[in-house]
Amino acid sequence: MMTPVNDSAPRLSVLHIFKVYYPDLFGGTLSVIRDICAGLKDKFAFGLLVCSSSSGRRRIVVDDVPVERVRSLGDLMSLPVAPTYPFRLWRRISQHDLLALHAPFPLADLVFALGFGRKRPLVVHWHADIVTHAAMRRFVEPLIRRTLARAEAIIVSDRALLDETPLLREFADKCHVVPFGIDVSKYDRPTPPRLDLKVGHDRGRLVLACGRLVPYKGFDVLIRAAVGQSFEVWIVGEGRERARLEALIRELGVGDRVRLLGSVPDRELVKLMYIADVFVMPSVTSAETFGLVQLEAMAAGRPIVNTSLDTAVPHVARDGIEAITVPPGDHEKLAEAIDVLIRDPERRQRMGLAARRRAMTKYSTSLFKQAIEAVYLDAVTSKAEIPSGRAMRSETAGLAGAVRIAATLAWSDMRHRYVRSLLGPFWMSIQMAIMVAVLGSVIGHLSNASAIARLPMLALSLTAWTFLNNVVLDATTALQNSAGLIKDRALPPVVFLLQCLFRQALFALHNASVPLILWLALAQTNIEGCIAALPGFALFVACTLGLGLVLGALATRFRDMKPIIESTLTLAFLSSPVIWTAEMINPTSTVMRLNPLTHLFAMWREPLATGHVAMTSVVYALVCAAVLAIASVVTVMHLRKAAFWI
Amino acid sequence: MVSISLRDVSLDYPLYGAYDFSVKRRLLGRLLNERSEMRTIRAVDNISLEAGAGARIGLAGPNGSGKSTLLRLLAGVYPPTRGRMQISGNIVPLIGLNAGANLDFAADDNIRLLLRISGHKPTQAVVDEIWAFTELEERMRHLPLRMFSSGMLMRVLFATATAFPADILLLDEWLSVVDEKFSAKAEQRLLKLVSMAAIVIIASHDQALLRRTCNSIINLDQGRIVRTIPLDTYSARPFELEEKRA
Repeated sequence: MMTPVNDSAPRLSVLHIFKVYYPDLFGGTLSVIRDICAGLKDKFAFGLLVCSSSSGRRRIVVDDVPVERVRSLGDLMSLPVAPTYPFRLWRRISQHDLLALHAPFPLADLVFALGFGRKRPLVVHWHADIVTHAAMRRFVEPLIRRTLARAEAIIVSDRALLDETPLLREFADKCHVVPFGIDVSKYDRPTPPRLDLKVGHDRGRLVLACGRLVPYKGFDVLIRAAVGQSFEVWIVGEGRERARLEALIRELGVGDRVRLLGSVPDRELVKLMYIADVFVMPSVTSAETFGLVQLEAMAAGRPIVNTSLDTAVPHVARDGIEAITVPPGDHEKLAEAIDVLIRDPERRQRMGLAARRRAMTKYSTSLFKQAIEAVYLDAVTSKAEIPSGRAMRSETAGLAGAVRIAATLAWSDMRHRYVRSLLGPFWMSIQMAIMVAVLGSVIGHLSNASAIARLPMLALSLTAWTFLNNVVLDATTALQNSAGLIKDRALPPVVFLLQCLFRQALFALHNASVPLILWLALAQTNIEGCIAALPGFALFVACTLGLGLVLGALATRFRDMKPIIESTLTLAFLSSPVIWTAEMINPTSTVMRLNPLTHLFAMWREPLATGHVAMTSVVYALVCAAVLAIASVVTVMHLRKAAFWI
Repeated sequence: MVSISLRDVSLDYPLYGAYDFSVKRRLLGRLLNERSEMRTIRAVDNISLEAGAGARIGLAGPNGSGKSTLLRLLAGVYPPTRGRMQISGNIVPLIGLNAGANLDFAADDNIRLLLRISGHKPTQAVVDEIWAFTELEERMRHLPLRMFSSGMLMRVLFATATAFPADILLLDEWLSVVDEKFSAKAEQRLLKLVSMAAIVIIASHDQALLRRTCNSIINLDQGRIVRTIPLDTYSARPFELEEKRA
C-alpha cells in the first residue's frame, strides 16, 4: 500500500478537546474547531474528543475528522454530565503529539489539574469565561488556573479578552491574540451587490440575527425592539429558549414581523445574509466573546448593530465604521439604531463595504491558519526543549516524592533502633508479649470463657491499637521535631506525617510477631477469614493515616491539643473493644455502638473470627473513612502554612 | 528553561502569640465575644524579581530585612500571600545551619540520609568523596553527630549539601561557622557550584563575598527592595585570578 507522498514528515497528531461537536450542535466555537481542522489538515492529523447525549455511534467521522463521542447523561449548568470523559481523555492523551483544549470545559481541566498528561504540550483556546454560572466559577477557577499554568500557550481571539479577564492577565506572557478568520470568498458574487436589486421581501426593511436560542444571545431584547417599528426581524437558530421567545412574540403582538426561522443550512444562511439589510447581534453578557456570526455578516457586506460588551464584540465591528454599537439589554437604543440604518440606504452601503473590507484584511483565514500553526508548532518544540531538571523537581515535589522521602526517613529510623541495641524494636515486642500474658490471665479470671483461646485475638487487637495510638501520638510532635527539614530544606510538611505512619507500621510489623506466634500455636489458621479481613484492615490503616494527618496538623497549630489528644486516646482505649470483646459486656450498649473504633475494629476482627461482618459496621466505618478523607484533604491544603506554626 | 519570576509578591508572616496557639483560649474568646485580630508582619513586601540562567543574586540588608524569608518563599516553604510566583528548575535550598541533621545518627548515616532526601543515590564512592572533602578523621565517620563540634558539623553538612549541582541554589549565611582554612575551600567549592548552577541566590552580610560571587546585589530593608546594584564583569575578574593561583 502506498502512503501519501505530499508530506515529507509524518504529520503531528492534534487532539481537540471540547464538550460537544457536530452534528449535536452548531455554533461559533464548533465552526472554529472545524476551520482549524480543515485549514491545517495538511500539517496536522486532527482528532476530537467530545461528549454527546445522543444514542448514536461513539466514533464517527465529521468532515474527514475522526470524532470520539463520550456518552453524556445530559447537561447540568451548561456542562455535559459525562462521568467517563476524564478517563477517556486520560487514555487519549498519550496517543497525540499536542492537546488543544477549547475552554471553558472544567471536565477536562479536572484531568489536567490532577497532573495527567504533564508530558504532552497543551494549547488552550480560550473562547469565553464562565459568566452564566458564577457560583460554579468559584469552584472551578483553581482548576482552570492550574490548566492555564501548565499550558504552553493560550490563544484568544481579541486583545479585549486579555484585558478584561483577570485570570488571563496572570498568564499574559503566554497568551497569543489570534483573530478568527472568515472565508470571504463564499460571499463573492459575480456582480457586486446592488441595493436596488433586492428581491423577496419588503425592500430595505429586513433585519437578520443568528445564533443559538440561549439567554445570553439577547434575542428577547431584539424582539422587544421590534415593537412599534416597521422593520421585519428574522432570527436564525434553534435552542431551549424557543418556547419562551415564541410566547414573547405573541405577547407583544409582533408575530407578523418577527419570525424564528429555526436551524438553517450554511448555504441558505449565505442567501439570507445577502437579502438582509441589517445584521443585529443583541448579545447581553460577556459569554459572547467574539461574535463569529457578525464576522460572517461583515463578509457578506452587511452593516452591523452590536452591543458594547467588554469583549471582542464591539472591536470586531466598530461603532461608527462597520457598526452601530448600543448598550446591551437596551431595546430602545437597539430599535433606534436599527431604525437609523433602515432609513439610510446610503449609510448601509457605506458600512457594508467597510465591513467587507475589514473582514477581508483583518480576519482572513490565511492569517488565522498561519498564526494557529505557528502557536501549535511552538508549543510542541518548546515542550521538547524542557530540560530534565524540571522532571527531577516534579519527582521530589509530587505526592510520590513525598511518599518516597517519608519511607526513606522511616526506614532509617527503624534501622537506627537496631544500631542502638541488638534486638531493636523487638524489645517492644517483648513488652507486648508480657502485656498480652498479663491481660490474658486477668481476662481469664473475669470471664468464664477459656482465656487461652482468646489470646491470639487479644494480641492482634493490642498490636493494631498500639499502631493507631502511636501513629497519632507520633504525629502530634512530628512537625515540630522536623522543623529544620521543613524550614531549611523545604521538604513538604506532609512528608513527616507520612513518616509517622510508615515508622509505626514497621514497628507494628515487629509487634505482629507476638500474635502470629500465638495464632500458629493456639488457633486454626483460616486463610479465607484472613483474606476476608484484608479490605477491612486496609480501611483501618487508611483511617489511622487520616487521624494522624488531621490530629498531627491540629496539634502543631494548637499546642494545647496534644494533652487533649493523649487523654482522648486513653479514654478511647478503655471504651473500645480492644482488650475485651463485645460478647463480654452488653453488646447493645450505646457507647459501644456510637464509638467508631468499635466498628473499625469489627471491620477486620469479625471476618477473622466468624467470616462475615455486620452491615452496620461496614456503613459506619465507611462513613468514618469518608469524613476522615475530607478532613485529610482540607488538612493537606492547610499544611502549606505549617512552616508558620513551627 | 531555568527561571525565577516573581511579580508583586508579598508575604504576610503571621505572628502567633502564646494565646494564638491555644484552641481552648480561642474557643473561650469566641464565647466571651472577644475579637482577636490575627497580627501579621509584612515580611516580603511587593517584590518583583526576574532571573534567568546565569543570574547570581546577592541579598544584602540588616537583620530582619527579609532575606531568609525571601529565600524560604522562593524555596516553597512559605506560600506567598499575594502576587504571582513562577519557578522552573530543581531548587536546592541551603538555608538554616543544621538543616535536617539527626544528631543521634552516625555521620555516615546522616550523609546517606540527606542524599536520599534530595533524591540522589548514596553510593559508597559519593559518600567517600564527601567525607574526603570534610578533611575530618576517618574514624569519626561512624560517630554520632552529637559528638561533633559545630564547625565539624558544618563541614559535614556543607560537603553533603554541595555534593551535587543544582538548577537553582538558595544559600543563607553558609560560611559563618567554619574555620578560615575550610572557609576558603568551601568558598571555592561554592564558586564551582555557582558556575554550574543556573541561578544562585545568596543572602549574606559579607559584602566582599557577595561582590566576589554575584553579578547583582539586591539591598533589602523591611521586606522591600531598596535598590539593585548590577555588578559589572570586572569585579568578578580578580577572583578568577585568585582561583587559578590556588
